[in-house]
Amino acid sequence: MTQPLLEVSDLHIDFSVDKRSVNAVRGLNMTIYPGQTVAIVGESGSGKSTTAHAIIDLLPGTGKVTQGSIRYEGTDLVKLPARKRRGYRGSHIGLVPQDPLSNLNPLYKVGAQIREVLEVNNVAKGKAADARVVELLEEAGLPDAKRRAQQYPHEFSGGMRQRALIAAGLAARPKLLIADEPTSALDVTVQKQILDHLDDLTSELGVAVLLITHDLGLAAERADHLVVMYKGEVVESGPALAILQDPQHPYSKRLINAAPSLQSERVSAQERTAIRRAAQEHVSEETEVDVETPAMQIQSLTKVFKLPGKGFSKTDLIAAQQVSFDLARGTTTALVGESGSGKSTVARMVLGLETPTEGHVYFDGVDISTITSRDQQLKFRRRIQPVFQNPYASLDPMFSIYEAIEEPLVVHQVGSKTEREERVRTLLDQVSLPHTVMNRYPNELSGGQRQRVAIARALALNPEVLVLDEAVSALDVLVQDQILQLLNDLQVELGLSYLFITHDLAVVRQIADDVLVMQGGRVVEQADANSIFNNPQEPYTQKLLAAIPGRDIPLAG
Amino acid sequence: MWRYIVRRLLQTIPVILGATLLIYALVFLQPGDPIVALFGEKPVSEAARAQLEAQYNLDKPFIVQWLLFLKGALVGDFGTSYSGQPVSDLIARSLPVTFQLAFMAMIIEAILGVVAGFYAGLRRGHIFDSTMLVVSLVVIAIPIFVLGFALQLIFGVQLQWVPPTVGSATTFTNLLLPAVVLGLVSFAYVLRLTRTSVIENLTADHVRTARAHGVPDGVVNRRHVLRNSLIPVVTFLGADLGALMAGAVVTEGIFNINGIGNLAYQAILRGENPTVVSVVTIMVLIYVVASLLVDLLYAALDPRIRYA
Repeated sequence: MTQPLLEVSDLHIDFSVDKRSVNAVRGLNMTIYPGQTVAIVGESGSGKSTTAHAIIDLLPGTGKVTQGSIRYEGTDLVKLPARKRRGYRGSHIGLVPQDPLSNLNPLYKVGAQIREVLEVNNVAKGKAADARVVELLEEAGLPDAKRRAQQYPHEFSGGMRQRALIAAGLAARPKLLIADEPTSALDVTVQKQILDHLDDLTSELGVAVLLITHDLGLAAERADHLVVMYKGEVVESGPALAILQDPQHPYSKRLINAAPSLQSERVSAQERTAIRRAAQEHVSEETEVDVETPAMQIQSLTKVFKLPGKGFSKTDLIAAQQVSFDLARGTTTALVGESGSGKSTVARMVLGLETPTEGHVYFDGVDISTITSRDQQLKFRRRIQPVFQNPYASLDPMFSIYEAIEEPLVVHQVGSKTEREERVRTLLDQVSLPHTVMNRYPNELSGGQRQRVAIARALALNPEVLVLDEAVSALDVLVQDQILQLLNDLQVELGLSYLFITHDLAVVRQIADDVLVMQGGRVVEQADANSIFNNPQEPYTQKLLAAIPGRDIPLAG
Repeated sequence: MWRYIVRRLLQTIPVILGATLLIYALVFLQPGDPIVALFGEKPVSEAARAQLEAQYNLDKPFIVQWLLFLKGALVGDFGTSYSGQPVSDLIARSLPVTFQLAFMAMIIEAILGVVAGFYAGLRRGHIFDSTMLVVSLVVIAIPIFVLGFALQLIFGVQLQWVPPTVGSATTFTNLLLPAVVLGLVSFAYVLRLTRTSVIENLTADHVRTARAHGVPDGVVNRRHVLRNSLIPVVTFLGADLGALMAGAVVTEGIFNINGIGNLAYQAILRGENPTVVSVVTIMVLIYVVASLLVDLLYAALDPRIRYA
């Protein structure tokens, strides 16, 4: 029988907060055999990253292993002195970190950072190291590696940076590679390429992989063995397919139900039709507007940015070209595309924050470029509101939750102080947040709660249209599912129309009626959601669909 | 890059025009008669006064005085002081002294500040860190003229380690105490800035990743933490040159150093327009060129910054 490469038994990790200790991980057991891929799945705060950091002795702050052992090839790493443990990092256990943007030092050339790994682990020095760096970058799938090695991280795209980090993580040929959410900051198509490449590379080199992810679909697709963590404990572990098809623990079941990539399309499509019907009913019954006229009409929108070129000349960047669509009342139109596809530019033009180079945006039949008086502009602003991607950055940290939600009402001089307070309470009810959060500040809330606050803030002025720019992309699957539910409920309740912008086709099915697929500023395919998912016409749409992790895995029931 | 440098240098023209005009106006508005000051307690005859006023253009409106000064400055003639020496000679004599003093002060604040701040940041909360925080707080809280006189009294008069005043013997050892006084306040700021920056960078993702790659702690701290922490410090040092020059006026006064600060101080007391304005012009020029150098150094330290 083969020896396990890594054997973690009864691992306890504590953090001390204000002199009290908090258990982050309790009694974790896990075994990784040589060449095997094991995935730890869980939401943020489940202890999955903490476990990974404990293995390489890089627990942040006050974190400490209080009990248990981490055996690497039979040696208990916990008992080793810090200096000896360092010897295992890089050369035996490699790391591919989560955010490719913040994990490369911005001040050094990419090649120099990989060379550093080679040098400190005594793999190669000097000229030989430089040559090896180029080989490693090529191996990680980076084209034109020789020139790229001489560039700085900010000259790389996200996917290229992640390839560089994979090259660095594998540079000293470790036997175990810890991949901590290696692709959650990347577009789906890039994510697929990177993971495919990582798969090939690790199986070729015989490297075992410990994959940390919140995405069950992705874990099931990539790993042989799953470990599901919840609040610091392992709730279930076993072969990936067995867990997916026959989950035992309620939490695993919830995860599977919430994963957009794994959701049954039949159910979504039916639910969607019911939601749309209810929302449109609301519009025709409760408001005076005609449900048949679209809330917004977008006609051949084009945006050209002038970029400084060589010398005094300017080059044109076509961010969006001839984009047209109607947003029907009580429905959701999704704009899908990778970064740089122009979807956010379109959203900004729809919001009136950017002037189109060509084309028109009609809101309720009125061309928004003709709205010039301040009074009319304020009225327009009330009727269309944005919700942005990053709930951490879009709320002012110095504003209490109450102030954040009240602010639009104050700006637009709506109601008296008591009426506004009443309105804030109603809004908190609508987004299912307790009234007690009113006196708290954004840093005291979780990502999902913050996004609820952002939605409440957007709803404060009773808008008709919400522009949701990657509004759920930064959230864990379970929270993402809850927010999508909330958006659907609000649509029914208030008859809202949504323009939903995302790079992730998987979530589109849960919320969208119509879909526009964008690539390089152009709309490549435009159809209703069912056609896009069941009968995609364009190769690019097919590619996006194929990139959804775990899509081909058969589920039980 | 060159276009950027040329543009920055061209920007100095309006800065110098504005600064000199402002100084001319201020000196003009200053109470007291420079000619009376020149003669001291002795009576001034009308003829002598008229002659002096004509010689130094004091009979003309200040705008004309300013324009005449600019005309002269363009061909390198900064006029003569009331004691009859060419102002350019005075500056040429005192500028190197101040340069030496300011350079020593800069070295003291930059090197000591960065080193102490770096170690304080690495050992956050330990005894060295706490000591440095208290010391820097005390230094920041005490005005430079109090600090200067106190150190002069202790090291110059009582312990007699260094001469209490410098005079014309501007040797390294003689200038050491004044340089310490001049650099001390900025040293405290550099220390605190470096410390904060180091603490922030220690928790940076790329620092953790470097450790995960097996890079030893010492190398990580030097290569990844220290260099990244220096960027805000360099910016501060550039802006601090102004404080250094303002501080030179006080410090040179305390230790009787014949530098440019002292020259400016004496000239202001006497109401000598040509000297005051010339000194200020030189200071503005130095400041502008030095901050340009700092900005270029900034770009050299941080590859994300490129000037076009």
